[in-house]
Amino acid sequence: MSRQSRAAALFTHPLLWTALLIAVLPFVAGANPFAGQGGFVDIATTMIIFGLFASGFNLLFGHVGELSFGHAMFFTLGAYVTALYTKGFNVQVLGLTLQHGAAGNMVIALVLSLIFALLWAWLLARIIVPRSSGIYFSMITLAFAQVIFFITYRWNELTGGEDGMQSIARPQIFGIEWMNSSAHFYWFAAAVVFVTLCVLYWIINSPFGSVLHAIRENKQRARFLGYDVDKFRVNAFVLSAAFPAVAGWLWTYFQQAINPDAGSIEYSGNVVMMSLLGGSQTFLGPILGAALYHELQNGVSQATKYWEAWIGVVFVVFVLIGPRGIMGLIDDVRHYGIANAVRRLFSRRARVQTDLVEELPPLDEPVASEVSR
Amino acid sequence: MEATTREANGGPFRTYSEGAAIHLPGIDALTDQLVNGITLGMLYILVALGLNIILGLMGVINFSHGSFFMLGAYLTYQLNGAFKNIPGGFWWAILAAAVIVGLLGMAFESLLIRPLYKRIPEYTLLLTFGTALIFAQLVRKWWGDDAVRVDTPSYIPQSANVFGLQLPFYKDILLVIVTIVILTLVWLLLNKTNIGVIIKAGTRDAEMVKILGINMPLMFTLVFGIGSLMAGLAGALAAPVYAIQPNWASQWIVLTFAIVIVGGIGSFWGAIVGGLVIGIAQSLMALLFPPAVEVTAFLVMGIILLVRPRGLFGVEGLFE
Repeated sequence: MSRQSRAAALFTHPLLWTALLIAVLPFVAGANPFAGQGGFVDIATTMIIFGLFASGFNLLFGHVGELSFGHAMFFTLGAYVTALYTKGFNVQVLGLTLQHGAAGNMVIALVLSLIFALLWAWLLARIIVPRSSGIYFSMITLAFAQVIFFITYRWNELTGGEDGMQSIARPQIFGIEWMNSSAHFYWFAAAVVFVTLCVLYWIINSPFGSVLHAIRENKQRARFLGYDVDKFRVNAFVLSAAFPAVAGWLWTYFQQAINPDAGSIEYSGNVVMMSLLGGSQTFLGPILGAALYHELQNGVSQATKYWEAWIGVVFVVFVLIGPRGIMGLIDDVRHYGIANAVRRLFSRRARVQTDLVEELPPLDEPVASEVSR
Repeated sequence: MEATTREANGGPFRTYSEGAAIHLPGIDALTDQLVNGITLGMLYILVALGLNIILGLMGVINFSHGSFFMLGAYLTYQLNGAFKNIPGGFWWAILAAAVIVGLLGMAFESLLIRPLYKRIPEYTLLLTFGTALIFAQLVRKWWGDDAVRVDTPSYIPQSANVFGLQLPFYKDILLVIVTIVILTLVWLLLNKTNIGVIIKAGTRDAEMVKILGINMPLMFTLVFGIGSLMAGLAGALAAPVYAIQPNWASQWIVLTFAIVIVGGIGSFWGAIVGGLVIGIAQSLMALLFPPAVEVTAFLVMGIILLVRPRGLFGVEGLFE
């Protein structure tokens, strides 16, 4: 590799841009230069936490080509486990008393969140993944997410029901309440998000990630190469649950409160939208998408009470004309120039060509043999 | 706190008092809930069958199906007020609401879904998710956040005596009869008419049917219209039973997914059995352990998936 191309590779490295984005966000998020208003740290925190959530979801959506419509269940699991660990609980289950006092160790909270989310993901993956794919998979994940949602919504004694839990303490480092300031918490979250995203980047670019891409492009061919496709899909599903759980852990500490909304269909759908908005087949896409989504939400919700309708409009437009998202557009501009990139945006053929998954006839269906018979 | 009736409490799923413990029901309560479950099941069947027909023929998951259901209910509310002075205005309102929703479905298909046929099916799910957000907000804007109710006309008796049981007349008798009539009509449409034959053939192999000279895009639009009409009709029929709220769409659509998965994608009898099973399971759970009512449908779905991955009446390899 020549020196120039190595410099170019460094310059376009997704992690560099992720770091830049994270560094800039608190100064620009929700900013309104015309009113002389700077950025809001709290909006930036939301953006990066959802960026992590969406990136984890996208490991499955963009890199394996499976649309899970229930990833909020892992987010809400991580969030609730953290909240319960921090605040303590005392419930009766089938005559047994479960109780736990309040505790403040954030590392233990993180480990517990991960354990619960990964166990649930593993259990689900064993049930769902070998049995379904495609839209069937989406429907089933959505339905199972409702199980978690209704548990958080209805189990009043444990979760506080519809109101959720409030006044959850932020973690202390060496006994100092350093994180109680919004700006301090942002940099803490930023560090966690960046490190976790580095792990994700490593996973995607590992041999394991390459097999996932092979499965996305053609499941049958990957199977012929000797890969146990279902095993890889199960592993990808479980791995992609870990990132929302970490995001949920951060979310509880950030909000210092938690309610069942965190596991609702809207949250699951919103991360799909963030991935689409940014570009689901790229590493940077979901992070960028999460930032754009919240920027948009912040802007529109100030203008109208019915802002969700406008989110819906953006959803529809992006599905119809730009499923490769902002990163896809940037890619096109780099390859074809601005004029041609815009032309491609409205060309149906280009859209079909660049769909997530190529539509090849599944080989396990007897296409030719039936005719010859 | 006493257990309250479904009607008084708003949504269809709040049948219980808070924090109730497991208790064994008496035989009266059991029959009551069984009847309740069948009524609920009838509505589930109508909604799920509409979704299933669309899914079976077109491979399109319509997330906005729940919105069409909700629109059917709100339109009935609106039209019932407008048709107050017409004889039989209540029934005209239900019919008109269903037809309007059906037409809306056809327009929806030809404008938004049609550009996506050549693309992967996940996109239709995402697109209809987006439109469901839009519908929910439009409903909030026009009819407000508060629940609205539709009263049955005074000539419909409050209750009737069937086999020694005193049952609410509209909810438990009329609704069941009307649903059975509609299901019979749909069965006849699917099995005894040319359109039905084309739909069923198209489910197997849309391309081949196209080669035979059938205008498939028109057929798709028609089928989408029929499916939406059924959702609208279910909403219209449900309007007098439950308090109508903007969150109906999201509540019902996921349940409908569970029913379709339990019954099997693309299966007429699957939707019927799935709807009844979930409806009855939910009602019995309301008796046994109230806080778990909403989860019941998904637990049933999980068990069915373990035993029969394609649902009770499903076919292997459809839409994957």
